[in-house]
Amino acid sequence: MKRTAAIVALLAAGLAGPGWAGGADTAALAKKQSSLNAEYGLAKDSKFYFVFDVLGRRLELRVRGMALRTWPLQSMRFWGQPDFAGTVELVKKTALKAPERIVIKPGETEEAPAPAPAAKPEAPGTEAAPAEFDLEALELRDMPKRFELDFDNGLHVIIKARGGAASSFGTQLRDAWRWYVQMPLRNLFGREEGAGTSQLELVFDEEKDAQSIYWHFFDGIKGIIL
Amino acid sequence: MTIKRLLIALAALAYLGFLAVLGASYVIGLKQASTWPPAGEEIAGKDVPKVERNVQQLEKRMGGLLPRGLYIVIDTAENRLFLKNGDKVLREAVVSCGSGVVLEEPGGKKRSWVFDTPRGEFTVKSKITNPYWVKPDWAFIEEGEAIPRGMEDRIEAGTLGDYALGFGQGYFIHGTLYSRLLGRNVTHGCVRVGDEDLKYVFKAVSIGTKIYIY
Repeated sequence: MKRTAAIVALLAAGLAGPGWAGGADTAALAKKQSSLNAEYGLAKDSKFYFVFDVLGRRLELRVRGMALRTWPLQSMRFWGQPDFAGTVELVKKTALKAPERIVIKPGETEEAPAPAPAAKPEAPGTEAAPAEFDLEALELRDMPKRFELDFDNGLHVIIKARGGAASSFGTQLRDAWRWYVQMPLRNLFGREEGAGTSQLELVFDEEKDAQSIYWHFFDGIKGIIL
Repeated sequence: MTIKRLLIALAALAYLGFLAVLGASYVIGLKQASTWPPAGEEIAGKDVPKVERNVQQLEKRMGGLLPRGLYIVIDTAENRLFLKNGDKVLREAVVSCGSGVVLEEPGGKKRSWVFDTPRGEFTVKSKITNPYWVKPDWAFIEEGEAIPRGMEDRIEAGTLGDYALGFGQGYFIHGTLYSRLLGRNVTHGCVRVGDEDLKYVFKAVSIGTKIYIY
């Protein structure tokens, strides 16, 4: 009899276990509801949007709730208390050397347009390696490896790759001064003036990751931050 | 001597003051960090089942937005095409997308074209075997040729390969004579695919198949 009661008690505990019993669980449930609400609002539309999962340490480009591209974060740091309620919209993308489109004006340039360097058809079925020469085109390799994004809620995000473009001593020194002296002081005095700092720095493993984020994050893209 | 000592003391005081302010800002920063990212609001016990139902409904609705059956995904940065069914990749192909170049027409009209592959959600609108290319005005302007008046002078056969999938506004997923340029951004906006990959994709998809270009 005692054994049966113990089994029943264990089963009951097992069934009750996965439920949302604790305070932390209900908070997680509330957060899930609000993030799903925000994402559903974006996914209803056919436009692309991004999801930045802070705890999951990844940035995703999505459409209709489907992840098209995932960029895992190598590291992240921040100053202030970035506000993540609801959706955010990218208002400005800033890079030291922003890529520029090539403008062709026939009759004014001597060079031929884009396909000219290899404008020789190959024999059918030829498996050639991709061409490596420079083309008159705007490609992923032309995108900046370090840039900044400004969102409509005042959030400022710095995107960079580990090492790479930011590895020179001068850049590192300037970064350290900005991050360890300028930012804390701005955060302290900005709070008193009612303009709190809200800055994130996201570091990715590959330079190509940063470049492809620049490529895919167009002005006006909306997103949610979990 | 006294003035020198006074100046040193003042400089030391200023430095200590600066360190104190910096220290205070770090304390505040750490306090902010301890409550970030913010957790969700607490839910009253009686509301939990209602919120759970709401979450389930939202998850179901989100699932309903996903494309059904086969769909095409194109990454314009990496020049890759994926034929997918759910999470499963059925075919991955190296392609060529738009060059991003701007062509400006000389002379009076001053029209301009941006050779980007359009990004967004599209559907396969037409399936064409042995397509021919009706050259638009920009093709002649780019080559420095006069724009012909007759339609017959605009038609070019063989350029688009064996198959073409139209997805609106004159844009196609089609074949190429320049397979060496696959993987590079060289087109005027269309998506060029190698012969074998194009044949596979063309045979697999039907009119109405979703295309996501990002």
